[in-house]
Amino acid sequence: MITTENLTKQFGQKVAVDGLSLHVDRGEFFSFLGPNGAGKTTTIKMLVGLLAPTSGKALIGTFDVRENHVAAKRLIGYIPDQPFLYEKLTGREFMRFVGGLYEMDDAVVQSRTEDLLELFSVREYGDQLIQDYSHGMRQKLSFSAAFLHDPAVVIVDEPWVGLDPRSIKFVKEYLKQKTRNGLTVFMSTHTLSIAEEISDTIGIINEGRLVTVNTVGGILQQRDSGRFEDVFLELTEEAGSNGG
Amino acid sequence: MDKVLLIWATKTRIAAHALADVRNESRLKIGVILFFVILLWGGAFVASYEALGFLKSFDPSQSPSGSTIGAIVMVRMLSLFFMMVFLMLVFSNVLIAFSTLYRTEEVDYLMASPVGVCELFTARFAECLFMSSWAVVFLGTPLMLSYGLVNDAPWFFYLSILLFYLPLAVIPACIGAVIAMLIVAISPQIRGRVFAALVVLTVAALLAYLYRTFNIERLSEAELFLAMLDAMKGTQSPLLPSSWAAEGVLNCAGRNFGRSAFYFGLLVSNALMAFVVTLAVVSKLYYRGYSLLKSTGSRRRISGRGILGRLDWVFGFLRPQYRSLIVKDVRLFWRDATQWSQFVIFFGLMAVYVANLRNVPTYRDSLLWRNATAFLNLSSSALILATLTSRFIFPLISLEGRRFWIVGLAPLARSKLVWQKFWLSVGTCICFTLGLVILSSVILRVEPLIMALSIMTIVLMNFALSGMAVGFGAMYPNFKEDNPARIVSGMGGTLNFLVSIIYIAVTIGVQAGLLQFRTYHFFGLLLAGVIAFVITLSAAATFVPLALGMRALNKADF
Repeated sequence: MITTENLTKQFGQKVAVDGLSLHVDRGEFFSFLGPNGAGKTTTIKMLVGLLAPTSGKALIGTFDVRENHVAAKRLIGYIPDQPFLYEKLTGREFMRFVGGLYEMDDAVVQSRTEDLLELFSVREYGDQLIQDYSHGMRQKLSFSAAFLHDPAVVIVDEPWVGLDPRSIKFVKEYLKQKTRNGLTVFMSTHTLSIAEEISDTIGIINEGRLVTVNTVGGILQQRDSGRFEDVFLELTEEAGSNGG
Repeated sequence: MDKVLLIWATKTRIAAHALADVRNESRLKIGVILFFVILLWGGAFVASYEALGFLKSFDPSQSPSGSTIGAIVMVRMLSLFFMMVFLMLVFSNVLIAFSTLYRTEEVDYLMASPVGVCELFTARFAECLFMSSWAVVFLGTPLMLSYGLVNDAPWFFYLSILLFYLPLAVIPACIGAVIAMLIVAISPQIRGRVFAALVVLTVAALLAYLYRTFNIERLSEAELFLAMLDAMKGTQSPLLPSSWAAEGVLNCAGRNFGRSAFYFGLLVSNALMAFVVTLAVVSKLYYRGYSLLKSTGSRRRISGRGILGRLDWVFGFLRPQYRSLIVKDVRLFWRDATQWSQFVIFFGLMAVYVANLRNVPTYRDSLLWRNATAFLNLSSSALILATLTSRFIFPLISLEGRRFWIVGLAPLARSKLVWQKFWLSVGTCICFTLGLVILSSVILRVEPLIMALSIMTIVLMNFALSGMAVGFGAMYPNFKEDNPARIVSGMGGTLNFLVSIIYIAVTIGVQAGLLQFRTYHFFGLLLAGVIAFVITLSAAATFVPLALGMRALNKADF
């Protein structure tokens, strides 16, 4: 469902993402891990069309994000780490706006809006201006908006910031359950324990290069150490010293 | 197109919510602002009406063609007005397009949505068009309305102004957007500097053109008048869209509806053509430039190198807390090219004007004229100072809002933050304004009393206007906004500017009035009284807003 072929991005002299080739299947929960500045957000921005790759390509479904960007984006639900929301719209007005962008039927938008706002526990704030929302409520609203058009792929960048423990548990279970129904999730995070708990596959990136792609079990088998955190640190340290 | 309409509808809803929020503002503040807005518009209308009425009263026999000199000047004036509007719109659209098309989070959001690039551009273009042209509508309507009333124009003339204005505004908006897209696509690495250099070069070219056209030292009064008329003839060039709008509106005023319709068709067809060409450029350059801008590698800035790297050393004499805050403010200001380029333009224009005063020999020997000019220069310097403090100093406290986790938690009283902004403002602005006033006084060879009064006034004004900008900035902060231009355009910023203007008008008014009593025996007493009044007023204008600002900031929640 998500394919990158030799995806490369340079910022001036710096190579932020270096020849990334990946494939994430339909219904797969893929976690993208790496230290700060490893190239996770740059990869995500190329996947959603916010950045043009210097070379290589990214496909969502069968659509090249550069060549057929509107069709590709129609399949995506994107939740950035700091989501943009229109401060002077209410939650419900924002959902209606998003429904319009995805050319959804009004009645469908209305019923799904209520369902999602209820699901993410922001229904009672739906008629308040977003400027009055807390950070967690904004995050929940952006989740609701991302799922409004029933996307085939959800790309989410560090989703846990600002969410309370109950919401984190709910979002984890919700995403996992959606993957069973065929949703593909591409998640970038620093929370290793959650990635370990819910991912089908994990990709580790360091200094722009993909260090490994495997299941949690497969990654743990690469080292003697039994803890995922230690393996992650070893792999990224090794890759850093080899690269540098 | 559906998505464009959807985005516009959403923006309209957002505007409606923002407008509804005005209800939460202080009624006094809204009242003061409304009063001055009406006063400004009314003043412009009365001045235009009187001036055009004066021109209309000229004798027809003065012109061989039968039309009055006044009518000719009036037509040229309107053509000049339309051309100035056109050029201003091109210029402002370049800057607005850059920020509206590339530098907002909303564009990032829409880019990640299933919205085509041309649809996204069209939606944002309307915002550029609105933001660049509303002020022209506000300031242009008094002139156009006066023209219609003075010339007894039919009702259709007033409608035609609106009809002609929209396509006239579209063409420069297209030109501005294309220029911005070209610059971003070609040179994203040096965008800030390029924009600033373009601004400075454009202003310099305009000044050179005006200087060559009106080199008044070599012209007698009659020649000057003819030279002005001749220069203004260029504004009626048939190649300029502004002249089509002027011709169309003027023909409508003269009831030549056929000709007026021709110019309207010409303007509309060219506006549509300009938009089609712009869309072609958009499909090639917009996304490319957007992505390039996001991909620009950041330059390393090494401490200890260059002026900005040595600021800690320059301000080494200050206490560490003040030094840190001042160095931070100066660095942020300098690294935002859109900020300092405006500063350069304001003072550059004023300096060029003052330096050119020596080229005006006709009245140079008249003491009255020299003193009047000195007060005029003082007023101009004060107005520029008020613009600067309102634009650059007022937002400083608001800009700390999002960083209050660091500044607010530092072992530093909030009142010290207010004092730091105040002294930064006084210290910076006084260097420029005092220099300008001394320079103009020396060039004009004004008498010592006027020079002393001018210097005293500008020094006091630096304190008062800085006190008001910082004080009002602390009283009416906007901690959610990171863009200084948007902070200024709020109610607090407008109120600060209006109160600053009132203060300037009173301060200069009483001194200008004082000179009427030069020959009276009680002049010395009056002079002492006026000086005491100006000092008291300035002290109140400095310290009252500062005290209120400190009180508000101490109570503020973050």
